[in-house]
Amino acid sequence: MSEQDQTVKVEDEFYAKRKKLYPREVHGIFASLRLTGVVVLLGLYYLMPWVQWNGRQAVLFDLPDRKFYIFDLVLWPQDFFYLAMLLIIAALALFFFTALAGRLWCGYACPQTVWTEVFMWIDRKIEGDRPKAMKLDKSPWTAQKVVKKSLKHVTWILFSLYTGYTFVGWFTPIDELSIRLFNFETGPWETFWVFFYGFATYLNAGWMREQVCIYMCPYARFQSAMFDKDTLIISYDEQRGEPRGSRKKDVDPDKVGLGDCIDCTMCVQVCPTGIDIRDGLQYQCIGCAACVDVCNSVMDKMGYERGLVRYTTEHAVQGGKTRVLRTRIWVYAALLLVLLAGLIYAISQRVPLELDVIRDRNSLYETTDTGMVENIYTLKLINMDEAPHTYRIDIAGLNGAQLIARETEVDVAAGDVLEIPVRVRIDPYELNRTSTEIQFGVQALDAPELNVMQTGRFVGPAR
Amino acid sequence: MDDIPRIQRMIAVLWPSFIMAGVATILFFTAFDPRDFLITTRFAELSRLGAYSIGFFLFWLLTASSCLLTCYFQRPCQD
Ligand code: SF4
Ligand code: SF4
Repeated sequence: MSEQDQTVKVEDEFYAKRKKLYPREVHGIFASLRLTGVVVLLGLYYLMPWVQWNGRQAVLFDLPDRKFYIFDLVLWPQDFFYLAMLLIIAALALFFFTALAGRLWCGYACPQTVWTEVFMWIDRKIEGDRPKAMKLDKSPWTAQKVVKKSLKHVTWILFSLYTGYTFVGWFTPIDELSIRLFNFETGPWETFWVFFYGFATYLNAGWMREQVCIYMCPYARFQSAMFDKDTLIISYDEQRGEPRGSRKKDVDPDKVGLGDCIDCTMCVQVCPTGIDIRDGLQYQCIGCAACVDVCNSVMDKMGYERGLVRYTTEHAVQGGKTRVLRTRIWVYAALLLVLLAGLIYAISQRVPLELDVIRDRNSLYETTDTGMVENIYTLKLINMDEAPHTYRIDIAGLNGAQLIARETEVDVAAGDVLEIPVRVRIDPYELNRTSTEIQFGVQALDAPELNVMQTGRFVGPAR
Repeated sequence: MDDIPRIQRMIAVLWPSFIMAGVATILFFTAFDPRDFLITTRFAELSRLGAYSIGFFLFWLLTASSCLLTCYFQRPCQD
């Protein structure tokens, strides 16, 4: 088999025959940036559920109670619109940043990257950096190897379980969850999701790592659609680097006919996805800039200029100029601004009060002894505000109609739902159609801006 | 078809269906409160979290079967 055939074969079977990677530890500007990303994001993830606000968890997506708390904002299932809008904005922001700066998300913020960083850190603490870890894997199973490997997996598992527990703490109050946890009283489903998420973390960050990016990530597959020749990418300067070759430090590369790349393969050794950036732009590259950092330190050691591997754009590589503010960027930015403004406006206009009008299903209408026509409704009033209110119920839009209810002024506690059976009575001579629209309105007595109108149908005898 | 490794096919069936099941679960349970429609059945004791979870896995079963069928029908017909 020729060498080329062999590479093709290996690529075909990449899934099956994945070569384990031992990314070397890097230091440099981008490594520090990534570390900052990891600390900030994981800090938020692990600490945020513990932050209190007005006597409750500040950010809580309370699934058992069907309410989302985001500081002062309390969202109900009825507010799904805002959430959907927020997701669209997030997606658009991703488009925007991808067009501008390539896979910024992948390299610095993606949970897969962030948790993998932590797991690799654990690896390095226990097994040592790349050479040591490789040696350990090749060595026979000595007692020391068993100890190191078990220690690694136990740490992975404990960390994963803690991650799973925090995950559930975003969806159910974490302080109560911990109390239940310490008493071994967690509900079956909570326990299940702690283990499920913990297991997913263990598998993805411990075992799958770069394979998640390469095979499972939808973003990695479609990001090329957002790229153009002005998108920031990480690239090897072929003109400057080639022909590559090793040389002594004090040899002038021009004299021996070499480029600046000393072929030390450090860039390959640090790459978390195991590719060689010198082969050109590849979809496996998550843009983590580890190769930039390491090559810069190699260049420093050699006394060459930095930036043999660097952030650049295709246009710049081809000797052109990079246009940052291009149409695509403007369009994304404009859309983003409009949607964001829309969302903020919508939230500011949101009335934390909801009224549902449900017609009685059993009868279309009823006739009273005195010849009047009645329709029966159930009004479902949801006080989504954080304070109790007294509401007045009214009808409108149907002349001569009378609202009959046990009380037309009702108290509803904060976050409570009240179902009020009501009748609407009218003299049939006032009706000129079989089915007419009728408006139900509720308004808080102490806060007139808390009011909603809902349209229902009034059905009378056929004419 | 057979040159696609088994693990890739497994991911192709389980992973997209997982994502779509998640979306379906969110949409479904935003619209319907499980407590409302379970109260009259013999699952009245089931907690909301339990209902969400079971709902999710049922959705996953559904979407995964659909992915599995796609995978199956992708095979070339001629043999
Ligand atoms: S780290 Fe730089 S010098 Fe070393 S092989 Fe990579 S590109 Fe060449
Ligand atoms: S090629 Fe460089 S930037 Fe891309 S993933 Fe590898 S180390 Fe990160």
